[in-house]
This record gives sequence, structure tokens and C-alpha cells, in this order.
Amino acid sequence: MNQIKNLSRRQFLAGSASGLTLAFLLPLSSRKALASQNSPASALTAFLNLNPEGKVTFYNPFIEMGQGTYTSIPMLVAEEMDIDLDSIEVTQAPHGDQYKTMFGGTQRYTGGSRSVRSSYELMRTVGSAARAMLLQAGAQALDVPLAELDTDNGQVRHKISGRKLSYGQLAEIAATLPVPESPPLKIESDFRYIGKPVKRKDTLAKTDGTAEFGIDVKVPGMLYAAVKRNPVYGETISSVDADAVQSMRGVIAVERIPQGVAVVADSYWHAKLALDNLPVSYAKSDNRSFSSEGLAREMRARADEPGLTAEDQGDIENAFEKAADKIEATYEVPFLAHTTMEPMNCTAHVTSSQCELWAPNQGVDFFAQLAAKITGLPLDKITVHTPYLGGGFGRRFYQDYAEQALVLAKKIGQPVKVIWSREEDLQQDFFRPMTVVKHRAALDKSKHITAWHISLTGEGPAGRLFPLKPGQADNSVVEGAIHQPYAIANKRVDWIKHTHQIPIGFWRSVGHSFNGFITESFIDEMAYSAGVEPLVFRSELLNSSPRYLKVLQTATQLASYQAGVIETDAMRYAYGIALHESFGSIVAQVAKVSIEREQPKIHKIWCSIDCGKVVNPDTIEAQMQSGISTGLSQLLLEEVTFKEGKAVQSNFHDYPILPANLMPEIEVAILESDAEIGGVGEPGTPPAAAAVCNALFKLSGTRIRKLPIKEMTFVEARENG
Amino acid sequence: MIKLHINDTEHEVDIEPDTPLLWVIRDSFGLTGTKFGCGISQCGACTLHIDGIAVRSCTLPVSAAVGKKITTIEGLSKHGVAHPVQEAWCKIDVPQCGYCQSGQIMSAAALLARNPSPNDRDIEQAMTNLCRCGSYVRIKQAIRSLVDTKAGAV
Ligand code: FES
Ligand code: FES
Repeated sequence: MNQIKNLSRRQFLAGSASGLTLAFLLPLSSRKALASQNSPASALTAFLNLNPEGKVTFYNPFIEMGQGTYTSIPMLVAEEMDIDLDSIEVTQAPHGDQYKTMFGGTQRYTGGSRSVRSSYELMRTVGSAARAMLLQAGAQALDVPLAELDTDNGQVRHKISGRKLSYGQLAEIAATLPVPESPPLKIESDFRYIGKPVKRKDTLAKTDGTAEFGIDVKVPGMLYAAVKRNPVYGETISSVDADAVQSMRGVIAVERIPQGVAVVADSYWHAKLALDNLPVSYAKSDNRSFSSEGLAREMRARADEPGLTAEDQGDIENAFEKAADKIEATYEVPFLAHTTMEPMNCTAHVTSSQCELWAPNQGVDFFAQLAAKITGLPLDKITVHTPYLGGGFGRRFYQDYAEQALVLAKKIGQPVKVIWSREEDLQQDFFRPMTVVKHRAALDKSKHITAWHISLTGEGPAGRLFPLKPGQADNSVVEGAIHQPYAIANKRVDWIKHTHQIPIGFWRSVGHSFNGFITESFIDEMAYSAGVEPLVFRSELLNSSPRYLKVLQTATQLASYQAGVIETDAMRYAYGIALHESFGSIVAQVAKVSIEREQPKIHKIWCSIDCGKVVNPDTIEAQMQSGISTGLSQLLLEEVTFKEGKAVQSNFHDYPILPANLMPEIEVAILESDAEIGGVGEPGTPPAAAAVCNALFKLSGTRIRKLPIKEMTFVEARENG
Repeated sequence: MIKLHINDTEHEVDIEPDTPLLWVIRDSFGLTGTKFGCGISQCGACTLHIDGIAVRSCTLPVSAAVGKKITTIEGLSKHGVAHPVQEAWCKIDVPQCGYCQSGQIMSAAALLARNPSPNDRDIEQAMTNLCRCGSYVRIKQAIRSLVDTKAGAV
């Protein structure tokens, strides 16, 4: 069944576009879905427009927050359309069901390392369909058989006569043609862009100050708002003395916002000064009893309770009963903040008939819906502009900052830009949840691991947002603990739900952010208790998982990995390894570490990734570097603690993130395989901490089971290699 | 009225003298390439040049910049020719989200103006700007590429 159809230009964007506009009926999340589903078309989607001047505008359903989607997604289109990537202008697609390209056309967001992998075939099909229609148009215009034509970088060419017409010249004719049912996709050996290192389209603007982020948006008549919420979650601000600041320079209004207060002024600085001087009193509640220390104690106490089983294979009870030896270890990770470099901000303009929002966001539909709810306007009267994001990492799914801008703009009747201070940004975060994880392993007489039991205590951001089915474990807690590639016959993963009293959220690599560290540290613990060298131990257990084994071997070969501790005249150092699959990609990392002044010195990390198909290797390399920096940052530095219901840390002086001088050298090897395409934005993060900790254990004999390690010191121990 | 010399142009602005230079640059002059990241001189997103020296503008009162030459990321390239640091950034594709990069580039440009062939230690000491995206490896690569070029040219 043909689910692709062309749209006349008038049907699309009310006359703003001319020439060929390609529209597709959804669901069309992949060609496979096309073939297998007969579901009725739900909406129309226009992904690209070609005007008679040859300009191609591409409506990207995914946002750019550093991960390279403004390059990698149009690469897929340019590849099949046979045009220069430079000739494509990328625009953010508006909200609406028609751009929901994920999960069979039901969702759209930018996260879960899903942008390229969810649209690899769809976006190629878009380009291929356009090319097929332009060829057809060329046959008409030149009055020659289709078979005598081919395309050449934005032109249709008559192979025999050499006559050429540009795509722009053919746009009008092509727009009248039906969209082909299943346009052919290139074979991989013909790829011009896919798999080759391609320069990012957004680099120039990000080096000369012209790239516009949300915080930079300028709207005529715009006012500025500084905001403060009660730092204790769930509590409100009971009263404010607006009169005290009303006469300060530039102040226009003092307004209440959900759980807090805002000062609106003619400049951000005036708003902030007044806010800092505004007397407020906070309502008090039981939430003041919350402390992260207390929470950790409660969770540790529950670690042996029976949980909800997320994975169960073999018979662990039996294996533990028969065990000749057992080991166990409890790991603990803290709350973390996102601290995107660009603090939360949003600009809104609300009138009685329409609403415009400039919102850095990871899911434009969530923001449009919120705007509809607050303004009472229908969705088609709402415009959401998505500028470049100064980082996302999961924080910008949440719309609290947009809610404030909408509420204020509606009250004031003028455009309002809300800018959070860093303090507000850090303390009003949706935190990566604190989690306690207990691992147990059983060994038989010959020291083989016979059973592995993982018990995770905590709460996940997915379960907080979407109700779980009865008996269902929260994947955002157990992911990365379940589905291990290691051949251990009896294995169980349990989840003990322990609700946190504060907002928790998706943080780069989510559950994998801690399970990568914890499982790969415990694998090392198992290796030592089995008396087998860690690389040998892993390799043996991966015998029937060749894809994983290859990734691991690639990294260890790249690093010239050596067992034990290596001593040269200049240095005593060790290599640590870790292997972790997340978001469809397998990543192995080898860290070369020494101890200097009682602190770990991370010299270099070698990283291999198998992400199935490779789209832009340059981006993959950058994302591995980036992911590793996040992994090291949480290992070395990051922790939000809570006292009396409030986050103790407030800015980079007490919540440091990885600085340049702690960043090791990084070398990346990219493997291609027949596996399905995997993500790259997050998979670099999970193994990094474990690789370093496994090296540190060799050097010091200290097993790190609690992050971060900023207050720890390490001394060299001689007998651990 | 406060007189400021920004990117080779004289400006006047009616603003309290203790306003941080960052917000004057951004809100009064619309030069938004200079970013706000922390407000307490910790992150370097707000780095610009005052008389050629890299300065964090979020804690500098505007009055302290009077009579001095202020250069922002927008004014780094002169006469439409990209500054070598910007060029190196492009060649190596340093930016990810890009938010910290104006500050990184201004820090690197000031370093290289002061010391055309910095060693790794010099680079480490000058480049204390934070990058949440972890673009540090490429930042170092880009700066090193400039050191090499210059050394080779002499
Ligand atoms: S904003 Fe000035 S150093 Fe962070
Ligand atoms: S590129 Fe994103 S903060 Fe540096």
C-alpha cells in the first residue's frame, strides 16, 4: 500500500513554500513499517521543500544540542537525493503529529540517542523519493525516456546528449508528480556522505557568535524575568514584599509563578537585582526532613529485600545454595545535576489569539501542549521556535521553565524572557536519581562464577512520568544491569522501589549512567575472586558473544593493553577495561591510569564502538569524547547532596564539572557491523568510570564502590596486579 | 552616561556603573555571542577581551571597562577575515552544543596573542573555561595546530 503522497505547495505552509514539497503519509518510521503495516494514514508530513532557485529547506524533526543532528540527518537526505549537503538549509520542524517519526509514527523527541537510528531509512527515503520525482520531471522536460537519465549533484542529466537541468528548474514539474511508492535506496558502496567524515553544518555559526541560543532570542518589546522558586521541592513561597523592590530601577512587575516568584524588568540585570533584594518567606512542610544522607541510609537498609524481578534466568537460589564461595558488594551513586552550559530559559509572547514560544527543548510537542493548556488556545495558534540548545542531556524534556515564561507573558501581555540563574538551574533540576545497587555472585569449587544477582534500590525517571504496569520493573533503573552479554548461567536482576522526595530526571545515559560503572566494576571483582585476569575473564565469558568480544578486543589492541601493573623508570601505571552496551551500541574502553599526589591521573582512554551502521564518523568520535567526559565528571567530581530538603550545591564552585586539565587524551575506533544502527550520544558515558576504577584497583587495591571520588586519596599498593 | 569602546566603535549607554559588563554587552548592545554560564567567574562562558586580555565579564562592573578596548567574539575577526583561532576551530570541528565556544575561542586567542607558541602546560593554565559537552580534546588539538603553524612559519 502506498503511504507516500505528494502535497501541492498550497497545502503546505500556507503558500510560504514554492516548488517541490515532499509530503509523506505517516506512519512511516521505516520502510519496514511501510511494508508490514497497513495502518491508515494519520497525518501528512512535509520534510523538504525545493524551490525553483534550487534551494532545499529541510524540516528536521530533531533538535541540535551538540550531538550533530543538524548534520547527520540532512546527510541522509542529501545522500539519496544526490545533492550537496551545503545546499540544504536545516530548519526545525514545527510541532504536530505529522513529524512524529519515532515508534511507528507515534512520538517525537530528541533523546535516547535515537535521532539517527529512528530515521535512518525514513530520511533516506525522503531524499530518494525527491530524486525519483526530479528524474521523472526531467524525462518530461527533456522529452526523453527515463532510463536515459541520471542525476549529478543537484542536476538531472541526459546521459546521451549531456544536456542538464538543475533540480531547481525541475521543481515546479516535480511538484505535480505522484510520489513513488518505494523509491530505490543506494547500495552502501555508492555512498558519498554516509560513513564518511563530514564537517558539521553548525560550526561556523558556533565560532563567530552568530549561533542563536534560546537565551539570545530578541523579540520586539521583550521584557526580562528573573525567577526564584522555593528551594525545597513541593513547598511554596508564602509571601513576598513586592513594595520593597517596586521602585528599583527598571522593575515592571513582581509576579507569582508556580512555587515561586518572578521579577519582570526592562533588563535581566535589573530583574535579578530586584529579585535578590526581594523579601520572601517560604512555607514550611515535612519535605524539610529530606536529606540525601538519610535517603542513602534508608536505601542501604532495604538492599536485601525481595524486589520486583526484571530479569531471571536459570536458578540463582539453587546456585547460591550449592556455592563453594560467594562474594557481594554494594555500590552507591549520588544525585547529579545536568548543568547544561546554557541555563534554563524561555521566551513567550501570548496574545488573545496566538502564542509564540522560543524554547530550548528536547520535544517540541510537549511544549506546544503546555502552551495550549496555559493559554487556552488551540494547538494551531501556537508556534514553538526551537533555537540551538546549549546542551540538553535530558534536562530539556521538562517544561517547568517554559511554564514560567507562559504564565508571565500571559499576565503581562508583552513578550517575556525568563532566564534562570545558575543557582536556580542547579537547585531546581530534575536530578539523576541516587541509587544503591547490591551485587552478589556465587562460585563453584573450581572458582567458576555460577550465579549473579543484582538488586537495585531506588526510583527511575521513566516510572515517575509514565505509570508502570503491575509487576513491571522500571527500565530506567535496571537498564544496563539486565541483558548482560556475559555467559553466566544463573542470573537475576531485582528492583526495590524506593521513592525519592525530589524531582528526578533523565540524565545522559539514564540508568546506564550508573549501571555501566557498577556492573563493569563488579565484573572485575568477579574476575579477581575467580583468580582470572580481568581481560581473560571477560573474554572467556564472551565466547558466544562475538560482537561484544570484537569490540573489547579492538579497544585492548588499540591500547596495547597489558595485564597487571606496569613499572617503568618514569611511571607506575595500569590499564583498566570496561565494556557496556547501551542505546543499541556496544562500547569498550581502556583507561591508562597512574597515581600522582594520591589522586588518579588518567592519561588516555582508548574507546571502541560498534554502532551497527556509521553515518558521520567525525560526529561519532566527538560523541565518544563527549560521553567519556561526562562519565569521568561523575566519577571524579559530581554530587548533589540534600539537607533540610534543599540542594546544598548551587554553582560550579561547589558542583564542579570536569575541567580541561582532567580530560585525558582519547582515541576512538569505530566498528561497523551488520547489527541494527545504534545510538552514539550516550553510549560513551557508561563505561568510562569503570575503566578508570578498574585500573585504580590494580594500582591501589582500593575498590571504588561509591561515587564521586573527590574526597578519596589513593596510595600505591604493591601486590595487586 | 557611560562611554564604551566595543569592537572598534565608540558607544554610549545609560546604565548603572556597577552593572556587570556581560549584561551590558548582551542586553544593551545585543552582542549575544558572549554567554552567561554561572555569573561567578567559574565557567568562562562570558570571556571577552579587554585591551587584549581575556576577562570574565560576568563579574566585571562596566565602569571598570571605561576607556579600554573591549573585543567580543563578534569583533574578533577583522574586515571579514576569520581569525586564525576561529579557522582552526572550524577545521577541527570543535563545537558541539557550541554554548561555551565563544569563551573558549576568546581565551585561546588571548593566549596565542600573548604567547604564540604555548606548550601543553601553558595551554592547560590558560584554558580553564568549562565545557559541559567535553570538547576539550579538540580544543587542545585546535590550539596545538596553531602553535605548529606558527613555529613552522618562522
Ligand atoms: S558566566 Fe562568567 S565565568 Fe561563568
Ligand atoms: S560545546 Fe557545549 S558546553 Fe562546550
